[in-house]
Amino acid sequence: MHELALASEVVSICAARADGARVIRVRLEVGRLVAVLPDSLRFCFDACARGTAAEGAVLDIIETPGEALRVRNMEVD
Amino acid sequence: MCTTCGCGSDEVTIDHVHHHHHHHEPETRTVSIEQDVLAKNRLFAERNRGWFAGREVTAINLMGTPGAGKTTLLERTIREMDAMPIAVLEGDQATANDADRIHAAGASVVQINTGAGCHLDAHMVAHGIERLVPSRGSLLVIENVGNLVCPALFDLGERARVVLVSVTEGDDKPLKYPHMFRTADVILLNKIDLLPYVRFDVARFAANVDVPVLRVSAETGEGVSDWYAWLRQSQIVTA
Repeated sequence: MHELALASEVVSICAARADGARVIRVRLEVGRLVAVLPDSLRFCFDACARGTAAEGAVLDIIETPGEALRVRNMEVD
Repeated sequence: MCTTCGCGSDEVTIDHVHHHHHHHEPETRTVSIEQDVLAKNRLFAERNRGWFAGREVTAINLMGTPGAGKTTLLERTIREMDAMPIAVLEGDQATANDADRIHAAGASVVQINTGAGCHLDAHMVAHGIERLVPSRGSLLVIENVGNLVCPALFDLGERARVVLVSVTEGDDKPLKYPHMFRTADVILLNKIDLLPYVRFDVARFAANVDVPVLRVSAETGEGVSDWYAWLRQSQIVTA
């Protein structure tokens, strides 16, 4: 369940950049060599996002080669 | 179905840009972020590394399954290897049981309870060493939360990663938990005194790892001299 810690960090990164807007969608690159379960990450993301600018946002997980784990961009309204 | 927006495309690779038009979210704008999710952890890990270097402290990250014998190995190491002072950060979800054992063995120790957390991160370690303050020139052992999955992802600022598993756990562990074994610098196979009683093929186990496998029994002391020798060869213990 390290996904919880990662999801919490994704929410922090996005909330810090939301600048008052509502986050609609977050695009996250997850490398194939990173031991992360996408479903678990989405579940944790939803929970961590509650009460933040990212509440209700969709987490898009983009599978990439290698070991990347990075927030690519987000859509805000 | 497309996982990006729920449209009807069968394209399941998610890394694609839509050129067709949607009408349901017309007013959004994209904010480029390009930020590593583990960046904050890495930053703390580097800070810890600097902290260790400034005090000539060498840190190792001891990981393994719950009950594999991490604390028992440490107790013996503290009692037998007096080449340099040993300080311990104990990571567990709850209780100070292990810290009490380490303290009784004669090392300075700080317990970190992670609560719901399944691993230590570099930030927890940064606070732990502020309280522990290992003496100059000491060996700092960070005993991670017992878990073969989550700790693998988090750099704590350590010099080396030690993975400890025991023969009661099955010889297919390196295949089942590849991330943990891939990041290890050395693997300790513990409880070898129980080998006659369990079905465990040491050759099969060792065939699936690329780093030295040291057979030890923290309980009886068999093979632990190889562990001490490895610490010296790796320049982790220099005295």
